[in-house]
Amino acid sequence: MLKFIAKRLLSGAITIWFIATATFFAMHAVPGDPLTQEKAMSPTVRAQLEARYGLDKPLSEQYQLFLGNMLRGDFGISFTQENRKVNDIISKHFPISAILGLAAVLIALVGGVAAGTVAAYYRNRWPDRLVMIGVIAAISVPGFVIAGLAQLIIVAMNNAAGKTLLPVAGWGSVNHIWVPALVLGLGTMAYLSRIMRASMLEVLSADFNTAAKAKGVHGLRLFWHHQLRNAVLPVVTELGPTIAGVTTGGFVVELIFAIPGLGRYFVQAVQQLDYTVIMGTTVFYGAFLVLVVVLVDISYGLIDPRIRLHGGGGR
Amino acid sequence: MAMSVFRFARRTWASEDLEHIAPVPLPKMATPAVVLSSLVVIALLLFVSIGPLVWRQDPSQQWLSQISAGPSAPHSVRLIRDNGPWQPPVSEPVQSLVVHDANTEFVRLQWPQIEGVKRYRVYRASAHKAGLGLAIAETDKSYYQDQLQLSYQIYRYTIADADSGLLLLAREVRPEAAISLFEAQLQGLVPVGKSRRHAKWLEIPGHPLGTDALGRDILARLMAGGRTSLFVGVVAPLLYISFGCIFGAIAGLAGGWVDQAAMRFVDFVVALPFLLFMILFRVAFGIGPGENGIMPLIVAMLMLSWPGSARLIRGQVLALRGQAFVEAAKLAGVSTSRVILRHMLPNVLPMILVAFSFAIPQAIFTEAFLSFIGMGVSPPTTSWGALCNDGIKTLLSHPRQLLLPALFISVSVLAFNLLGDALRDATDRRAGVAKA
Amino acid sequence: MKLLELDNLQVSIGPVQAVRDVSLSLVQGECRALVGESGCGKSVTAMSLLNLMPPAAQTNAARWNFAGRDMRQLSEREWRRIRGNEIAMIFQNPMTALDPTQTIGSQIAEPLRIHKGLSKREARMRAIALLERLAIANPAQRAAQYPFEFSGGMLQRAMIAMAVVCEPQLLIADEPTTALDVTVQAEVLSILRELRESSGTAMLFITHDLGVVAEIADSVSVMYAGQTVETGPLQGVFSREAHPYTQALKRAVPNMENPHRLEAIAGTPPDLRHPPKGCSFAARCCERMAICDQLPPNFPCESTAAHQARCWLWHPEHPARWRENEQ
Repeated sequence: MLKFIAKRLLSGAITIWFIATATFFAMHAVPGDPLTQEKAMSPTVRAQLEARYGLDKPLSEQYQLFLGNMLRGDFGISFTQENRKVNDIISKHFPISAILGLAAVLIALVGGVAAGTVAAYYRNRWPDRLVMIGVIAAISVPGFVIAGLAQLIIVAMNNAAGKTLLPVAGWGSVNHIWVPALVLGLGTMAYLSRIMRASMLEVLSADFNTAAKAKGVHGLRLFWHHQLRNAVLPVVTELGPTIAGVTTGGFVVELIFAIPGLGRYFVQAVQQLDYTVIMGTTVFYGAFLVLVVVLVDISYGLIDPRIRLHGGGGR
Repeated sequence: MAMSVFRFARRTWASEDLEHIAPVPLPKMATPAVVLSSLVVIALLLFVSIGPLVWRQDPSQQWLSQISAGPSAPHSVRLIRDNGPWQPPVSEPVQSLVVHDANTEFVRLQWPQIEGVKRYRVYRASAHKAGLGLAIAETDKSYYQDQLQLSYQIYRYTIADADSGLLLLAREVRPEAAISLFEAQLQGLVPVGKSRRHAKWLEIPGHPLGTDALGRDILARLMAGGRTSLFVGVVAPLLYISFGCIFGAIAGLAGGWVDQAAMRFVDFVVALPFLLFMILFRVAFGIGPGENGIMPLIVAMLMLSWPGSARLIRGQVLALRGQAFVEAAKLAGVSTSRVILRHMLPNVLPMILVAFSFAIPQAIFTEAFLSFIGMGVSPPTTSWGALCNDGIKTLLSHPRQLLLPALFISVSVLAFNLLGDALRDATDRRAGVAKA
Repeated sequence: MKLLELDNLQVSIGPVQAVRDVSLSLVQGECRALVGESGCGKSVTAMSLLNLMPPAAQTNAARWNFAGRDMRQLSEREWRRIRGNEIAMIFQNPMTALDPTQTIGSQIAEPLRIHKGLSKREARMRAIALLERLAIANPAQRAAQYPFEFSGGMLQRAMIAMAVVCEPQLLIADEPTTALDVTVQAEVLSILRELRESSGTAMLFITHDLGVVAEIADSVSVMYAGQTVETGPLQGVFSREAHPYTQALKRAVPNMENPHRLEAIAGTPPDLRHPPKGCSFAARCCERMAICDQLPPNFPCESTAAHQARCWLWHPEHPARWRENEQ
């Protein structure tokens, strides 16, 4: 198991390095020098930036400087917001995105597993059809449209009730989380429930399921001990990649619901061509996602004894 | 029981007795879902290609008189020359709330002076809605000219005492459709400069799906946007799947350390967070003045999306390389290129087709997402995603402007996904038959 | 006193009449083999005996008594008390019939926890003791392992342990040796025989392997196309096969005395969606008569009282019987 974790961590570190390098060269491919763009920038910021990034030095030295700064966790200061460190932006706004993302993943996971299970139990009957129609809808409607519709519905609901049942946008209370998290998690939920349905169908027709029933196992015990544990494995493997989807989907949801998360800042930075914020956020997000995938891989090992005991060779 | 039943009719078993066993029928390819989705895809392609030829409206043309208007047929409008400040004729004092003139350029109201009221407040509401509606003006005069975004519907005007809030007078008004001389000249409906008398009435084209927040025809914009969306949706996958196939085929055919290195590189590219780097590359390529931003989008997609098909093809090539019929062909002295063309390609092609049909909805989605956050195509070029971006700003008042382009995105994504499912099932079946 | 009496069991799954007429009986401690080709309804019969057919399946029986109870009247709740407790089942493939995410020990202990209400610890101790009895080395350590860490033979022993841990009155073994190596097969068979001798459990042994039948069974029922076509004691059925199908089956088994003659049964079983009007074996039978195509041989046709065959050849008015009747 230790060897397995070490292997995953090492490959994760190499991936993060690759992400940082790709970011660096992508930013250097920007037409013209980022600093010579016609942009309102105070001389002090300019001087600081030149010193920090050594823009007059050759590319290889700049690259070393960049990697060194990244290693120390120093992402520089913002181009557009004077005296604001990228680190501060990240540490202030990332927790908000993280809470939103976590809530979305939880909703997606619980909802997806539940919907997939129901669909599999009632295969080809109306609950199954209902779930599959929902899945198709959630997969083919873009997230920003769902977000917009959700806002419309909240407004209509509030109007009908004559008071504010749920806030339409903003951040600050628990009530602000529900709708954006649901909207954010919906696509993932659809995807997971499709996987869950397939794997639950497989489990329901598996020999060990029949064997467990033949032992007299029934009801919740059957579901919990034998069906869920086996059926949920493919869902857990998919969780890593879907978290990446939830994070990037967060951009749009944060934008529409006016949530001051890192995603919204990233989109703003991109629109304002705030290079340091873009670079810092990209590397940070990239590293975060890689870490999450590694963690999910490891947790998969904890659920599936075959991997826990054999170092992950047999998957 | 009669004896004759047991007459000895022993026959030996004959093979034709078993001929009636029916073969297992293959699942049908043309399921209703497939037929429907193919029709939808064809309809969408016709919509964006033939559509602009039939519906000859400029998607960038702004109708100032019809901002966020609902669906309308072609109709005639009154040409309004004089829409400057207005004062009612002093000679005629009025007894009640009087409408001097009502058209979509202005509504002119006059009411009697009421004793004790210093300031009047004017409210305007849509007739079918309850309440006073919008407070559009406060004035100490006893007349008012309303020029605030009037549209072709019935309004209810209410005059109230601004200080006490007491309601004084109310009246329903239906303004007639009109266009100002300035706009008529702008749209080229009347010649500029000539001060001769113009026709009193003008014919203006209808907008079957209404207009957007800048008064542009939504139908024409959906056609123009669809061109971009479908173009990106088809061309980008075409490019990156071709590139991935070539990369994967080279890696698989070369084998050894070349294969190893190539696949390591693929691993890294796969690990890049897709949308994050889409945005990053998009920024890196930048958009020059006058460019529409489609090429950078496609190139960015090409750089990030090829690894999937590269892995697929490499795996297939490796698997096929070990198979007997390829070995046999090689032993028979068939040249390598011929082996690839005659034996490997037909086996790999269906898989590429399936990958392609699933890549299209993904590319449409990606383009929509990027255009939505303003990182896609740049104006005046538009796409369904960019239309959604325009539409979300007026979501609460005019949801149609978001929902229409969203509907097109959803329908096309759904149709291509269903087609992909059907294609995959078909190739799976083929593979299954080949194995059996 | 009969432990199990089953008369005219019929199971249909949608349009397929998987079991059309199966009659079985077992006395305490008896081992009956249920023999037939694959697809003849053996496994459906076994699953029906535990009432584990999917809800889409329709089950019917003229008589179905087990340990003095009418099984047709039982509620699902009562069935749960029976499954794994009074009737247990050994599955064909132990690699797939054990839950891959649970330890062997907990899977063996599970019936004890459910039916006997034992504590986790107690159940575990009993499971380990049982594993030891089934000759598994280091049982305590083995019980904490997962199925993928076991070899095929050990898995089948674990499967057997799981079935017998509650000391059921009837053990259904659905081809317990088919998925195993020949060497392991013998081992599993000897364990089953030993268990039967020591506990007196009745066993319904389902197989298509006549060699295995000879080793373990007391009596044999032969199934064809969803019907029991011949029933009798082992000696009777094996030495004086009454039904042409049993005869054909025996000719299809490699034989020491006659190693070169191996006859496959020509043709394939009938389509059970549209079963034939007459005898279901008629199309493949080399003794076919005119009546075989027209009427099913549904009459008590027996060579001796304990040995019955569903065949027109054994009708009392068949010419071959005349002489016997006269004697």
